[in-house]
Amino acid sequence: MARYRKKNEIKVEEANVLPVMNIMFLLIPALLLAMEVASMAAIAVSPPKFAAAPSDKKEEEKKEEKPLKFKVFILEDGFRVSTAAQQEGAEAGKAQDSSKPTIPLAKPSAAIDDYERYDYGKLEAKAKELKEKYSHETVVTISAENSIPMQVLISTMDSVRGSDCKLLTIKEGEDFPEECLFFQPIVEAGAG
Amino acid sequence: MTPEELFEIKKELKRAKRRDKELEEANMGLTSLMDIVSIIVVYLLKSYASDPVLITPIAEQKIPMSKMDAAIKEGVPIYISSRELIFKEEQVAVLKEGELDPSVVQGHIIAPLFEKLEEETEKSKAIFEGRGEEWVGHVILIGDEALKFSTIVDVMYTAGRLEYSEYSFCIIQKG
Repeated sequence: MARYRKKNEIKVEEANVLPVMNIMFLLIPALLLAMEVASMAAIAVSPPKFAAAPSDKKEEEKKEEKPLKFKVFILEDGFRVSTAAQQEGAEAGKAQDSSKPTIPLAKPSAAIDDYERYDYGKLEAKAKELKEKYSHETVVTISAENSIPMQVLISTMDSVRGSDCKLLTIKEGEDFPEECLFFQPIVEAGAG
Repeated sequence: MTPEELFEIKKELKRAKRRDKELEEANMGLTSLMDIVSIIVVYLLKSYASDPVLITPIAEQKIPMSKMDAAIKEGVPIYISSRELIFKEEQVAVLKEGELDPSVVQGHIIAPLFEKLEEETEKSKAIFEGRGEEWVGHVILIGDEALKFSTIVDVMYTAGRLEYSEYSFCIIQKG
């Protein structure tokens, strides 16, 4: 009986997976090519008229405090920093001192295409100083001369936001951490 | 015959049977390899599909670097390299040293971009209307690191005229 069963056992054919494997192997390089090599992110910016509206909760306490109106103007020879339309370090009695920037270049002799010639460290220190006085403020208006390259604009936004600021980890409704300084940039048309 | 002798004979018979057996063809086991490859393909497909916007830098474009970590929101991408402005895989304007050709800019509005963007906006608005949702225009500017500030302002102004209220600058994460 046992011998009979063995003879008539149905032979199960193994599926031929080679063509499927071939397709799979072709799919891997195709998908790898379509993948992002560098990790991309985005900086949300607002034009002047669409400035971020203050939240209802803090509206009342904000009304009591004087608005900061923090503004950074990127010049070819440094940063002009102003608060409430008064330039920091301007001559007495003048709202703006066009002859010199508030924060001059870190590398004045560097070429124009050297994006590291600006003193981002000093700008961040200035932003930290202002944040200590105006802890509720998150908005900064950034403007520049027409010839300023995009990398300088982005690095300026990084400096005023704070180098340790991580916005991805913050969940909706959560308070922003202290490391995040001025992370809502408004891009305003410049002059010159 | 003793049981030991019987056992020896049986053993000998089995040995002889084994010797006479034809060599079986060895089959390569592809199942485990297939499993690994399937996992890789699924992972790659997932990472491909999870990005709301697929940004593929164009030729002669160096995207600026930043420490920002916020993800890219869905929006209309506008590519600007050091030589051209590209919208919907089509060259819209030519740039010289990071600046737009003055003939295409009229009062901060980049005329060819305005036309193309207007078409796209109308389509997008109709889709949102059909869904019963409010349309919020979002432009993703994928610019070159050397792009001049005046060009950035022109692009933002052009999009602003078409009721785009949200803007993002695409960057490559540092570190």
